[in-house]
Amino acid sequence: MIAGFALAVGVIVGLILRPTVPHWLEPYLPIAVVAALDAVFGGIRARLDGIFDSKVFVVSFVSNVVVAALIVFLGDKLGVGGQLSTAVVVVLGIRIFGNAAAIRRHVFRA
Amino acid sequence: MTSRRSATSTDLLVDLVTNTADPGYAAAAARRGPGAPRRWFDRPAVVLGCLLVGFTFAIAYVHTHRDAPSAAKVHDDLVARVKAAQSSGNALEAKAQRLGTEITRARDHVLPGTSLGAQLQLSELLAGATPAVGPGLQVKLGNPPQPTTTPDNGRPGSTPIGGTEVLTDRDVRSVVNELWHDGAEAISVNGVRLTPTSAIRFAGQAVLVDFAPITSPYTIEAIGDSDVLVTSFADSEVASRYHTLAGANGISFSWSQQSKVHLPATAAVTPRYARPAETKGPR
Repeated sequence: MIAGFALAVGVIVGLILRPTVPHWLEPYLPIAVVAALDAVFGGIRARLDGIFDSKVFVVSFVSNVVVAALIVFLGDKLGVGGQLSTAVVVVLGIRIFGNAAAIRRHVFRA
Repeated sequence: MTSRRSATSTDLLVDLVTNTADPGYAAAAARRGPGAPRRWFDRPAVVLGCLLVGFTFAIAYVHTHRDAPSAAKVHDDLVARVKAAQSSGNALEAKAQRLGTEITRARDHVLPGTSLGAQLQLSELLAGATPAVGPGLQVKLGNPPQPTTTPDNGRPGSTPIGGTEVLTDRDVRSVVNELWHDGAEAISVNGVRLTPTSAIRFAGQAVLVDFAPITSPYTIEAIGDSDVLVTSFADSEVASRYHTLAGANGISFSWSQQSKVHLPATAAVTPRYARPAETKGPR
């Protein structure tokens, strides 16, 4: 309940402030988005499993973003940034799908 | 341990697909045990995390959707600037022509009927500085009708094959050169009079005649002995080439004898470096 409310507030704040993304930060935006989606679905699943932990939620989100950005940054320096970015999106995407499937099983018992 | 060691890369992938839950949650739950009391930071942490997530989504959304309109805005702005520059250029050219006719009239007033005035007029005519009238030939050369391509065909910034112009500056130039060769005395292309310093070039997708962009269909008008012009042009290699191309490529190509062709004047280019060489009188 409060989580959904905070999510909506975050979206509204972002829409009102309309911050300009610095140019050097642009490649990491898709990664941040996928990591955020992963954190949300992982959190919902953990909640439904009854093992949700706020610390794990925040730390996993932040560390996922930071680690993924670091990997892509290193890849950029070594010339494989695009591929590593794809790899991060694929791995996190698989997790998102798996978590969504688990949520579906919880909600619909199917 | 042995099963661990024999883990292959396929196991890694299977593990990736099957164990999608963050093991951190299970570990934390096991550490705290069932029915653990709420900690003071639980609620603020969730709020903070959700705020961050929502903010990230909003930034990504705004970033994605702001770029497209701004690019269109820049494009519109550039188009408007080009059009403004073109219209101001046209206005300046019209002004230059008007002033030129005024000069001519004033000069005729000062030097009425002298041989000097007649000589000057002839030079001006040759230089394309005065409008010319006379019998001649009109050649029309047009791109084939554009096949209707679906929009957004291919990547932005690339030109679809169907969009490239078939006719280029070379085609206009070869027709003009053929007309000069056939004895034309004055030529204009799409209403732009050719002068001794004229150049027909290609930039992007437009043919430039003296920096004025012209588009298909290209109308080339020439003044000269119209009978000679028509017969020579019809006999020429250029005409037969474009006849063939018209059959194969779908370009339009036609010419017609004109009893009266009006050619406009251009603003005369004043030579800045070239000057008449010292000529000795006839000895």
